[in-house]
Amino acid sequence: MTGNQFTEGGTNMTKVSFKVTVNGRAREATVPPRMLLSDFIRQELSLPGTHVGCEHGVCGSCNVIVDGQAVRSCLMFAVQVEGSEITTVEGLTQGDALHPIQQAFWEEHGLQCGFCTPGMLATAQELLAQNPDPTDDEIREAISGNLCRCTGYEFIISAIRSAAVKLRETDTETTPQPV
Amino acid sequence: MKPSAFSYECPNDLQAALALLASDGDTRILAGGQSLVPMMNYRLAQPERLIDINRLSELDYIRDDGGVIAIGALARHAAIKSSDLIKEHFPIVAEAYDWIAHAAVRNRGTLCGNLCHADAASEMPAIMQILEAELVLLKVGTSRVIAAQDFFLGTYETAIAADEILTEVRIPKPAAGTGWGFEEVAMRRGDYAWCTVVATLRISDGKIAAPRIAMAGVNDCAARLRDAEAALTEQTPGASLFDAVADTVADAATPAESSAGSAAYKRDLIRALLPRVLNDAVTRAT
Amino acid sequence: MSSHLKSNVIPPSRQREVPRTGMTWIGQSMKRVEDPRILSGKGGYIDDVAVPGMAHAAMVSSPHAHARIVSIDTSKAKALPGVIGVYTGEDLATVADPCPSFAAPPITQHAISVGKVRHVGEVVAAVVAEDRYIAEDAAELVEVEWEILPPNVDLEVAAAAAGDALLHPDDRDSNVALDESFSFGDVDQHFAEAHTVVKRRLRWQRSSAQAIETCGVVAQFDPFKGGYTIHSNSNFYNFIPFVIGGSLRVSPGELRIIPVLTGGSFGSKVFNHKIIILTAGLARLAGVPVKYIEDRLEHFTNSDSHGSDRLYDAELAMAEDGTFTSLRFTVMDDYGAYLQFGVGTHGNAMAQVTGPYQIQSFGMRVMAVLTNKTQQGPYRGFGSEVTNWVMERMVDAAAEELGRDPVALREQNMIQPDQFPYMIPTGNIYDSGNFQKVLEEAKTMFDFDGWRSKARAMRAKGRCVGVGLATCMERSVYGPTEWWSLNNKETPGFTLTSTPEGITVRLDPSGKMFVTLNSPMVGNSPETVVAQILAERLTIAPEDIVFNYSDSQSGFNGVGPQGSRFTAMIAGACVSASIKLEEKLKRFGAHMLQRRPEDVELRNGAVAVKGLKDQEKAFGEIALTSSFFRLSFPDGEEFDSGIETTAVYDHPLSTDPAEDRSHLGIFYPIVGHICHIVAVEVDPGTGKVEILDYTAVHDNGTMVNPRTLAGQVWGGTANGIGTTLSEVFEYDEDGQFTNPNFAEFAMPTANEMPRNFKLGHVETPSPYTEYGIKGGGEGGRLGAPSALTSAIEDALSDRGVKIASLPVTPPILRGLIRDAEQAATG
Repeated sequence: MTGNQFTEGGTNMTKVSFKVTVNGRAREATVPPRMLLSDFIRQELSLPGTHVGCEHGVCGSCNVIVDGQAVRSCLMFAVQVEGSEITTVEGLTQGDALHPIQQAFWEEHGLQCGFCTPGMLATAQELLAQNPDPTDDEIREAISGNLCRCTGYEFIISAIRSAAVKLRETDTETTPQPV
Repeated sequence: MKPSAFSYECPNDLQAALALLASDGDTRILAGGQSLVPMMNYRLAQPERLIDINRLSELDYIRDDGGVIAIGALARHAAIKSSDLIKEHFPIVAEAYDWIAHAAVRNRGTLCGNLCHADAASEMPAIMQILEAELVLLKVGTSRVIAAQDFFLGTYETAIAADEILTEVRIPKPAAGTGWGFEEVAMRRGDYAWCTVVATLRISDGKIAAPRIAMAGVNDCAARLRDAEAALTEQTPGASLFDAVADTVADAATPAESSAGSAAYKRDLIRALLPRVLNDAVTRAT
Repeated sequence: MSSHLKSNVIPPSRQREVPRTGMTWIGQSMKRVEDPRILSGKGGYIDDVAVPGMAHAAMVSSPHAHARIVSIDTSKAKALPGVIGVYTGEDLATVADPCPSFAAPPITQHAISVGKVRHVGEVVAAVVAEDRYIAEDAAELVEVEWEILPPNVDLEVAAAAAGDALLHPDDRDSNVALDESFSFGDVDQHFAEAHTVVKRRLRWQRSSAQAIETCGVVAQFDPFKGGYTIHSNSNFYNFIPFVIGGSLRVSPGELRIIPVLTGGSFGSKVFNHKIIILTAGLARLAGVPVKYIEDRLEHFTNSDSHGSDRLYDAELAMAEDGTFTSLRFTVMDDYGAYLQFGVGTHGNAMAQVTGPYQIQSFGMRVMAVLTNKTQQGPYRGFGSEVTNWVMERMVDAAAEELGRDPVALREQNMIQPDQFPYMIPTGNIYDSGNFQKVLEEAKTMFDFDGWRSKARAMRAKGRCVGVGLATCMERSVYGPTEWWSLNNKETPGFTLTSTPEGITVRLDPSGKMFVTLNSPMVGNSPETVVAQILAERLTIAPEDIVFNYSDSQSGFNGVGPQGSRFTAMIAGACVSASIKLEEKLKRFGAHMLQRRPEDVELRNGAVAVKGLKDQEKAFGEIALTSSFFRLSFPDGEEFDSGIETTAVYDHPLSTDPAEDRSHLGIFYPIVGHICHIVAVEVDPGTGKVEILDYTAVHDNGTMVNPRTLAGQVWGGTANGIGTTLSEVFEYDEDGQFTNPNFAEFAMPTANEMPRNFKLGHVETPSPYTEYGIKGGGEGGRLGAPSALTSAIEDALSDRGVKIASLPVTPPILRGLIRDAEQAATG
């Protein structure tokens, strides 16, 4: 990590340079330490799919996957992700195809305005990686840190339940099964 | 809602962190950041310097040290919640974590950071006190160990010095047969508690032994309920005893009037929750 | 019909597409057209907009509820590197006039306050800087000297205040901005003749929608192109130029407002005029494009979208057998510091104030009280959610006083299926309905009788389990007279009567159908419903339809999705456009097929000869030929190149209010019906409420897409559960807003929602709209509070707890239980 002196906002600060892999792509950046990870992703990396809803860590709209875990990107500083691997909603899409979780949200009507959706998807992605066959109550608990004002959550729960089935079927197809 | 400017240090080992902390300046330690960063975003906290301890991988552990389980400063809530060691020895901790924030916050937040933040409505300060945990505080050249019950001094106020890091929590394994209870009322699960009551106890010859009770969310900091413990010791468990103890605790409570409910409401919660917690603890004691 | 309604003649229906079964697309739960781009993170919300040279704004907000601004020193802020400018209310006033107001007479509101502040969070200065971080640094450096004035917090105290406590001493000598009385029918006579009059004092406290996206604007001013270019997440982008052009001192045509995908509204983004005026003015002052996105704190404290905050003294008059005869309210409403929409929220409630019941007359005195709080704006229900709750509370109270079963009392008084269209005392009509069928369906789905006996048995064992049922109206397709019909009759204000919705449809030579909409996507499903309706009417495949949105210079005649109007209104525009397009397609197609237009029909995306299988021309081929091969067709205007049309649909059924306001005319006539039934268990020691079972049955006429309608119902119900159990804005005695954050303003998470929510639909088509469609965007919140309140009261019936105020948070409910316990023990 290197530093270079500069003046911003009347305060002597050291911008910090770091490297990070985002959606599989290696990125280098030099930013002031106070830049929130959410702002870094949206503005510096021009990945606007990550949404900012409250900036105090409650709504979950800004959830992204950092090193396999869903985190609030409004509660991390960008400089903290040096060396990490980050997946945003833009990285979930597989080429021209929706990821099975996205597909399930589409089929089950798991979104209305869509603003909370990228954070929901990150939470769902982590849940299903840890627990491929969650109960409805486990889904409910997992997404209880993501506020949605449109759906009443019912179809989000259906979508995650359906995504779990899709992902398990995908695993069955690609993983050799014992006879 | 953006944080004000600060300078940033990210040491790679504990000694470097301690050295940085020993130098002057308005410095805060950044661990999980799940309490500190919201306050910075609101500019309620405007530290001049942050020392990020997230690279101190030497502090990322949950370890069986014989008679105690040791939890390092970088152990995240999520890791503690799912740890087999914790589930085996401290099921109350695993249970309580269902009530503490939400998964994404638990993925980053640390137990040690949570204890240092010392929110009066936070659960772990109460639980660490009934488990009689010890906290290891390090500074350059020296260390000290402080009992959890001596650590919490008030709302956002602890015994830690500006140049110290809480590096480890050491929780003694409970005696065989210890039962436990946990009850909380908050607006939503995951919110800060309006009232949390926690207890452990044993049953010996049909009588209550070694009761430990603590409460959070009511007074200005989480604390043991020593009078209640004394009133229960060597007594036969039962509804009238528990109700009487709850009444005494409720009457002695000093809750602030707030939007989270009147003082009368907080006292009602104590009366409702304390007997439930004691019942559960008795049921679980073997 | 009462004589006061004789002059209110119901116009004939303009319905062209009659409701029918077995349609191909309408009625299908088609996957949404909008979703793939949103799911992949490419929706394009307001904060995703970036224009070259854009700077960022941050606000200096008032920390006081009521204070005079003695002085503002911006020098330190201006000196900060990266700051482009710092502007006060006086600075903004050099380029912008006060905000528009539907109140009559208007109340002056500046986008940046001038002279004094009237609520916490009101803007006193704005910083424009290179980025938002620096802008916020500078905002902290602005020094304001204040002279504190007495804060008005309690609405009854505020109503009586004088002197320094007056909010607008230059405009008004009272904090009561409006005090009007209405009598629709023989109210006094009905009360004089009543056998029983039930009286209740009922309180509904303020909260707001709090969509997860806040309001935001990106504005540019170009003096050489003659105006403003503005990106905004307003619902109403094709209309507001006419409302705010004056404030920005340009003609409406010089305001180009470009819509974006909007991250939820529920009413909160209907106009957004203040933030547009603010940001546009800053762009003009700073000479650079400016982005201003409210942060969550600003959205809570300054977004002018707080919900209703009312105190009712309600009376219900009944005959000896329990027949309702008249209803009367005295209502005070705490509107906050300004009155942007007048008392439109009470006008709205007049659409269905008597509920599903036959009540002959209605009287009301309404007082709009100004206090030192953020002003009210729309929130899902727009005031009708409150009167629904008041009506249902009064019916439950009547049942209790008469010793009657509350459901039987409802059934006795309900409007019967053969009475539609039914005109209520205010003059609005209910177009159609079958309330009895909805009730039966709901009771069956819920196992109402089974649950009632189960709850009784559980209560006998000491558990606090109860069941509540509500039968409520869901008016849809609003007419704009609701904004002004209750204003002072001598100065009614802007007496707008149009709410059109338009569409442009062009069949591209490639065979794609390009559709331009004039209202934004705010979480509803505009593209999906239009695709379904056009596919139904024109036999085109939905996947061949491509959507765009006009901006305010390229489009017109769009009013937006608010008031549960969009689906029914755009259906009308789709039908109009389809009629025109069909005529063109047949003309061109018949010529290509060498047939007469009357011998061809539309079939599977083609113009085909009636009765002949293989004789057809695909729409794409017709469009291609008509666009590129002019000489293939005869001379004459009717064969001008291209297949395209623009169509507009006006409100299907509205009439003017009576001059003397003896009735308000027809203004919200497409009326759905809902029945919610819920079982709850209360923990009496803590006041916590657990929802054990929940059923909602909605009748929204013909359903275009059952799945998206279900999403609206569930979402609205979640709002209603929050309104009832957990959401309230808290102000302390100094007028400080103490919980403006997501940690303390407790909106339901997935954990708080019922585990076994059952949803049913009854379809009673409207005789006035195309295909019989009714709106359905608000019903959940219009029904849930009433049912939940009843259930909680039932659960605590053995303890004598009565609920007269919402919300009932656990501390509040425990307080009611404690009071009852203390009363019981003396």
